[in-house]
Order: sequence, then structure tokens, then C-alpha cells
Amino acid sequence: MKKSLKISDFGKNGDRLLTTVKKDDLPPLPPPYDKIEAEKKWVEISDEKKRRTTCNLDGFVALSLPRPKDEGEEKQMVDKFVAGLEKLLTQENNWGFLQPLTLTLEYCAKCQTCSSACPVYEESGKNDLYRPTYRAEIWRRLVNKYIKKGPKWLATLKHGDIDLNWTTISRLYELCYRCTMCRRCAQSCPMGVDNALVTHELRKMFSQELGWAPKELHESGTMKQLQVGSSTGMSQLVVKDNLDFIDEDYSEITGLEVKTPWDKKDADVLLIHNAGEIMAWPENPAAFTILLNAAGVNWTLASEEPSYDGVNYGLFYDDFQLARIALKHAASAKRLGVKKVIMGECGHQHKAMMTISDRILIGDMNIPKESCFPFLEEIVFSGKIKFDPSKNNFPVTLHDPCNITRNLGIVKPQRRILRYLCPQFREMTPHGVDNYCCGGGSGFAIMSGNNFPDWRISVSGRRKFKQILDAFSDHPAPEVKKYVCAPCSNCKGQIRDIFAYYEADKHSGLKYGGLVELIVNAMVDLKEPFIKWEE
Amino acid sequence: MASFQAGNITLEIDEDGFIQEPDKWNDEVAAALAKTEGVETLTEDHWKLVNYLRDYYLQFGVAPMIRKLCKDTGFKLNQIYELFPSGPAKGACKVAGLPKPTGCV
Repeated sequence: MKKSLKISDFGKNGDRLLTTVKKDDLPPLPPPYDKIEAEKKWVEISDEKKRRTTCNLDGFVALSLPRPKDEGEEKQMVDKFVAGLEKLLTQENNWGFLQPLTLTLEYCAKCQTCSSACPVYEESGKNDLYRPTYRAEIWRRLVNKYIKKGPKWLATLKHGDIDLNWTTISRLYELCYRCTMCRRCAQSCPMGVDNALVTHELRKMFSQELGWAPKELHESGTMKQLQVGSSTGMSQLVVKDNLDFIDEDYSEITGLEVKTPWDKKDADVLLIHNAGEIMAWPENPAAFTILLNAAGVNWTLASEEPSYDGVNYGLFYDDFQLARIALKHAASAKRLGVKKVIMGECGHQHKAMMTISDRILIGDMNIPKESCFPFLEEIVFSGKIKFDPSKNNFPVTLHDPCNITRNLGIVKPQRRILRYLCPQFREMTPHGVDNYCCGGGSGFAIMSGNNFPDWRISVSGRRKFKQILDAFSDHPAPEVKKYVCAPCSNCKGQIRDIFAYYEADKHSGLKYGGLVELIVNAMVDLKEPFIKWEE
Repeated sequence: MASFQAGNITLEIDEDGFIQEPDKWNDEVAAALAKTEGVETLTEDHWKLVNYLRDYYLQFGVAPMIRKLCKDTGFKLNQIYELFPSGPAKGACKVAGLPKPTGCV
């Protein structure tokens, strides 16, 4: 039996790991994946790497935080951390999140209902470190002891002890990147406490006050998007060139005239893709173009930077960075004079634009925004396009992106489409607002430093992989090609990595893709199948 | 930052072995990077891919779409995997001295 972790140990023995995760701890995968996993080795952090960077949590390193130069730097960072904790709890510094955060601070009954709702905790073999309450409780104790007025001994007596030092803050930073912010914990809480919000608030405090953020999200994410126009590095010139290429390529493949409109003034619809789709999954933007043109929609893409990229990674780690991108997206929509903005198949874009931006944007900057799911549903059932569902006669299941389904409550439109167009559609268990995260949420899917991919595939992605296998248990053989509909760029990246790691195509015939591809695949006007299984 | 030695040249590399100073890249560096990818000798086909990626990157500041790479060089995706076992982005681009891909790709 594993030793239970004490919260009061969190700030102690900073040169050692607080806990470890071993393969044997994890609940087994069904055959043949148990064997495949046993044969694969998790990457070990080298001694040279440990000398340079902080590695004191669980043996995995997502962030490569440099070690402090001296005690002076340690103290400076701890002071900034304390100032940041205080700011989180003041109206003028954190008006957007203060109310739910205060509720979360005061009302946790420590019943652990959230722990059994958390796929990371459960699939880690129930390692205490990953309980949603563990991270939150560290924060509560820190606030109670070091921020609230009154003697420290009294706070310790009432709420439990915690040290505050470099070890505490460096471990807590890394621990903020062991939660995908799927908010299943918040959904299950009988008190309305949101422990995923604690992750979010701590991440943003580390970024805004200490300048600590994952390189993939900040430097090569938001900063690149602001400098070049897209987190992918595509400038306006490149994205247009790429779309031209996609149009030409799919005109050849389909025999249709595929033409993506750019910068059409006063269009009814501005569609914003996650630019990762254009780079890595061009069949997705191609399918949107084919479908929207066939339905006669008056639509456009925007070429103004950064509005050809719906990414807004600030959602995951920094309110200021989120606002910078959100304002630019809104300004492009306003300049084009479009009636509404449609979110492409990207979960965090939905949340950043449709809910968070609603609190920032006022007046004529707040142009109506809509998810692509109800928009696509309207097109599919408009009668304007002929479909032949027998073209999709293969097993299909749906992965619900947390940010769209649980966090925005969009459940039925995508299912109505799939039930109509996919004769062998089947649900995962559970699904809808009770879905499990792909394991790559909150930016994890693009974080691939050191041995972090081992963790996000084997631990945080484990439940999703099992769910997918279960959904297709009636057709386990690889000869039967199966389609996981995962309408979100981040989820697709994570599912691709899980499938590649376990060679799931070879052993189970698993393929993944978006929603709009399935719609276009069923169009009568297409002579050849749109979905290519061999690629 | 870790470093990487190719002949007389020392280059900074990131956690995944992508070089950080694309200006220092040359044929010798490419050959040394290829070895880290399990490619002992760069054949004519390898060079065709590497040179295409290099030229595209110098012109556009980013890697090409994989479909574009396939179409312009005439290689099928599985042939690229045969040449560079880690694939076009993690293998071929790394050898061509491009930075690690960014964004949701």
C-alpha cells in the first residue's frame, strides 16, 4: 500500500521528489495494450537536466523551471508569490473570478467526492498528489496562514500547517500542470466548490506575477501569435498560401470547385479556425469550405493577424494575454462588419471567445458568437444538401471536448448530426456533460518537453483511451476501421499521440478526426469518400 | 539549455533536440542531427527532403504543411517515415535545422 501524502510535507525536502508514479500503480489496460505499455520505457530525467532545472514533484517535468541562482532569487520569488496570492483575493485585481474563488476558499467540506470524479487521480492509481483537493488545500493553507490577518499559529491550529519557501512554490507551479482543468471535480462538488479554478488562478498568478509559464503556451504560443499572427508561426502570407493549396488540392480530390473566401465585407458569418487545423489537419478546413459553399452560406475567413487563428492560450495561464488576443479577434470581426462569429472545431477557442470574452467585450465589440455545432446542425437539417448516411457506415463514437460540452452545455446538436449521418454511431460511457477529458486539456496536448508526454498519455489520457476501446468492444479487430469523432484541435492532438503510443490503429483499427469531415463524407455530391482511412 | 556538437560547431538544442540557432545549420550539422534520429547516412532522397524543408523555412519562416511537402517533393507520407522514422515534423524538420513545431499541431 502506498504511503499517504501529507499536505504539511509539501514544502519540505526540496531536493527530493515528493512522490513517484510507477507503471505498476496504474490500473491495467486491456490486452494487447498491457503488454505494449510494459515494454515501453518512460523517459528518465538525466542528472545533467536535474542540475539545471527543478525536478522535485513526481519525477515528471513539464515546465523546465530553472533552479534559482541564489537565496536572494529564492526570496524574491517567494515574495512575489505572496503578493500574487493576495492579489487573487482582491476585487480590484481579480474582479472576474473573485466570487467563485472566495467560495472555493471557504466551503470545501473535504468529502473527496471530487477525487473519485477526477480521471487523473483515479488513473494514477489514486496517488494523493493528484486529488483535486490536494492542490487546493495547499492554496487554502497558504492563504489562511500567510495572507489572512491574525497569528500564524492560530491559522496552523485551525487549518493545518504548511511551509512557504522555494520548494513550496516550485512544486506548486509544476503541480498546476497536472490538472487538465476539465472541471469534472467542480461538476461533482455538492458544495459548488471549483478546485479546477484553483489550478487556473494559480497558473495565472505564476504567469502574471512571477513570469512563470510553459514555453509552449506563452513564448511559442501567445507571443508568437502576437508577433507573427499565429501560434503555428504562419504569417498572413503563409496562411493564405496554405489555404490556396488546400483549395486546389481538394478541388482535385473531390472534383468540386473548392474556394475559401477571405475578408468578405459584411458577410453573415466569420469562421475562425484553430490554425493548427490548417497546418496539421487540412481536411478539416477543406470540409468546412465544401459544406458552407454547398449550403450557400455568405461566409468568410479573416486574414488580419491574429484572426486566422482562433487560439487563445491565455485562457490556460494568463488573463492579460487572454484579453490581448480576445480584443484583436473582436476587432477583426467588427472591421469586417460580419453578423456573427462561428467558432471552428476548437474547444478552448469556444470558451475563450464565447464565455470569457463576454465579460471583457462591451457594446459594438461584442459581436454575436456561436459554436460550430448548432451552426452545422442547422446546415445539415436545412434540406439544402443531400446526404447518404450509408457512406458513413462504419463504427463512430464521439469524444466531447470539455470546454464545449461540460463547460458550455452544448450537447445535442453534434449528436443529432451523428445519429442522422452515422448508422453505427455509439456513445462512450459516460458522455455529454459527464464526459472524460482526453487528457490533453488546458494546453497539455502541445506540451511535449522532457518526459511529460509519458505522463499525459499514460496517466491523464488513460481513462479516455479505455473509454474509446470500450465504445468499440463489439468490433475489436483492426480490420474494422473505426472513427473517433473528436471535434477539437487540442483533443485531436492528444488522441493522435495516444493512438501512436499504443499503435492503436494497428491493433484496433482506430482513426480519429473532426465532425465536419463526417458530414462532408456523407454528401451525395462527392463521388469519392472524403475520409481517407489509409493516411 | 543543452548543447549539441557537430564537428567543430556547438549548437544549443531544446529539450527535444531541435537546434535553437538555425543560422548555424550546415550539411555537417544535418548529418550529425540525422544520427540522433537513427539515420546513419543521408542519401539523395534524404537530402531532397531536407533541402526542400530548408528552402521553405528560409522563405516563409515556418515548416510547410505535410501535404504540401508530399506533393512538392513527390514522396508519399509512408516513404517519409521510411526515410525519417520519427516522421516529417519531428524527424525531417529537425535534421533540416527547423525549430520544433508550435501551436495546436
